[in-house]
Amino acid sequence: MIHARKETTGREMGEEYAVLTGEAAGQRLKQAEPDAGGVVPLWHEVPSLPAQAGDYYGLALLKEPVWIWSVPAYFYVGGVAGGGAVLAAALHGKRPLRRLAAWCRVLAFLGTTVGPALLTYDLGRMSRFLNMLRVFRPSSPMSVGSWSLAGTGMVATLALLQGDRASAKPAHLATALGGLMVAGYTGVLLGNSANPLWQDRRRLLPLLFISSAVASTAGVLEMMPLDRKEEGVVQRFGVAGKAGEAACMLAMEHVHQSTPEAAVAMKKGKGGVLWQAAKVALVAGILVELVPGRSPTKRKISGALTTLGAVCLRFALLETGRTAAREPLAATRPQRRKMGW
Amino acid sequence: MTTTITGFFTDTSVCIGCKACEVACKQWNQLPADGDFFSGRSYDNTIHLEATTWRHVAFVERGVSLSGQSTARPFSWLLMSDVCKHCERAGCLEACPTGAIVRTEFGSVYVQPDVCNGCGYCVVCCPFVVINRREDDGRAWKCTLCYDRQKEGMEPACAKTCPTDSITFGPLEELKEKAKKRLEELHRRGVTEAYLYGMNDEDQPGTEGLHAFFLLLDRPEAYNLPPAPSVPTRGVGGSWGAMALGLAGMVAVAVAASRAGGEKR
Ligand code: SF4
Repeated sequence: MIHARKETTGREMGEEYAVLTGEAAGQRLKQAEPDAGGVVPLWHEVPSLPAQAGDYYGLALLKEPVWIWSVPAYFYVGGVAGGGAVLAAALHGKRPLRRLAAWCRVLAFLGTTVGPALLTYDLGRMSRFLNMLRVFRPSSPMSVGSWSLAGTGMVATLALLQGDRASAKPAHLATALGGLMVAGYTGVLLGNSANPLWQDRRRLLPLLFISSAVASTAGVLEMMPLDRKEEGVVQRFGVAGKAGEAACMLAMEHVHQSTPEAAVAMKKGKGGVLWQAAKVALVAGILVELVPGRSPTKRKISGALTTLGAVCLRFALLETGRTAAREPLAATRPQRRKMGW
Repeated sequence: MTTTITGFFTDTSVCIGCKACEVACKQWNQLPADGDFFSGRSYDNTIHLEATTWRHVAFVERGVSLSGQSTARPFSWLLMSDVCKHCERAGCLEACPTGAIVRTEFGSVYVQPDVCNGCGYCVVCCPFVVINRREDDGRAWKCTLCYDRQKEGMEPACAKTCPTDSITFGPLEELKEKAKKRLEELHRRGVTEAYLYGMNDEDQPGTEGLHAFFLLLDRPEAYNLPPAPSVPTRGVGGSWGAMALGLAGMVAVAVAASRAGGEKR
């Protein structure tokens, strides 16, 4: 009577006979598990797997990340915002570069406004997004990041409103400081997990995210109309970012040798394809830039390729993480190795 | 009022695989059913702990004999009722940005359903295959160590129902004593492979010990348990350090780049 029928899904309970008061009574369900989006493998034939020595019927030993597309999309947007914030502060007060500085401020503002929206979209309970600021938990990079993002959003708005006035310096510096956190914490966030692929690369991930943030910002700016001076700044900024990103991606692959079980995830399936695409786009972007001669078209193509690579990279990280979580040996073997078997 | 820290000791050597704990847990907590399907993996059609499954009995059916047992052909069962470990250093709790996951007065790790906003970070931070978010509910769910029952002075539903006392509930310190005695007894009877999993900080430094620990008869991997799980926040300092380094580089690059174009007014 009191409870809607859908709340009793899977509970086989007549509302006349039972009152839902248990700890999980509030758990809403549309369908019982096997139909709920392939959470559990549903066998149509009987495979009857024999138990093996090394694992438990090959079943996953870790849960896969449940994040949807909007999280890697945020990783990208946040990176651009961070790069924009830092560059805006560095350009502050440089008159010939006023227009470029203004664009950077817009990037910082947009990224820190769209970013939280993307993150909220992933939440299981979107209406509770403000709970992110309910406590501050230094042990959780996500908590640190939520506070940084919220704070940066506010100062970025202020910096945008104040523009390039000399009095805007504090707002610019504050935005840059926040932008640095926003650009970097996501790498720590992934590294601070039980996922074998990410955990093994926990020192590398922040560097990858930061260098890719620099490259992404430059990529976006390269696609805009720029004069000679602006172009000089953007290209210098971009070269460092792209080179750093390429070096970090190479290093990410190098870790393969110490954890081959997890590394397979970077070669296989959707994650592998995305990873390769990210590499190809990044390298192509660099090559286009190396073509001699100065032309806006060339610059724009390079910027577009860099952007494409940076987006693919974020999605690749999530997808390869999913694949790695599915492989039990990826979790157990490295632990055994550390224990000396 | 002082409450004692409580926990589970699961002695897998007496588990008979009746799954009464799974049923009792579902019933008491009014968890939804998982539907009917066949896994093809011995008698284990539950497969894993889930948002909707807070006790799971693992079935390892093998042509290997165990010491202390005599069978005509080499054969043995390993059975284990798995549950959230309520880690002393819990990955899920340390990762939770909303403060929805808390340590209760009984020392257990509890997700407050009215606070959780379903960010999904605990899911990747649990070093065991425990907590999960379900799309249709949106929040993260796991074993509460029957917080509601404990508050009423009752033992958790699974322990209450377990017919062989494979699952025992009580003050953690008492359980540890009990577990050590049981281990000695088994070793005396020739079951030399028996050992305790995750009882203390020394057994499992990565989690600093589990409030739900186990007596196992084979390597942890056989039961889908990690051999040396570790809370992700261990050693995350290096990650923050790398980030600081990278950020310093980013500032340097930005300053250098801005010089390039803006020096000559
Ligand atoms: S086993 Fe996983 S869900 Fe349970 S307390 Fe430990 S980290 Fe949290």
